[in-house]
Amino acid sequence: MNKIAAVVDVDIDCDALYAAVADDRAGAVVSFCGAVRNHDHGKAVTQIEYVGHPSADEVMRQVVDEFATREGVHAIAAHHRVGVLGIGGVALYVAISASHRRQAFDCAADLVDRVKEVLPIWKKQYLTDGTHEWSQCP
Amino acid sequence: MLIRFFAGAAEAAGTDTLEVDASGHTVESLRAQLGADNARLAKVLVASSLLADGERRSEGPLDDVAQLDVLPPFAGG
Repeated sequence: MNKIAAVVDVDIDCDALYAAVADDRAGAVVSFCGAVRNHDHGKAVTQIEYVGHPSADEVMRQVVDEFATREGVHAIAAHHRVGVLGIGGVALYVAISASHRRQAFDCAADLVDRVKEVLPIWKKQYLTDGTHEWSQCP
Repeated sequence: MLIRFFAGAAEAAGTDTLEVDASGHTVESLRAQLGADNARLAKVLVASSLLADGERRSEGPLDDVAQLDVLPPFAGG
């Protein structure tokens, strides 16, 4: 089982991560790219700063470990970026190779959901009116 | 005890760190004290999770804790 998991402070190399999950046993390779979009709850966004807790890198490793025993899954790569990203910037990249497509699709979808649930990373959203807000924060 | 505030909690608190005397404090009493003069921080604290020396803690005494991290709701991915 090839596992790649990290929180990084440089631009994610999506092509390298996709290539890294290649496996002769895999009939399916699924990738997910979480990118910065230009809108949130009706407001126009200019950029996002992602900030992580010091434990975030370790938590990402734990999340990938949780999915490493899934039936038919042969390799998992997951990187989350911290730092400032413009529109279109890649915040989260996940690639899964598995024997069959249902295994790959399900693993990717579930892993992304789990990352969003437990990864201690925060999102400071800058809006076109010059203000900013921390997503999900009261 | 050193309190480390993160993200929106740091912004609400106006600081990344705060040194407090935790003796006699519980999670509940500390939340009340920190939020007493800061309504915005009080709201953030209600929604935040706490790590006491790296372990999740939601209640009870804090006398034995050296470092307390305040983590607002996550927003990654």
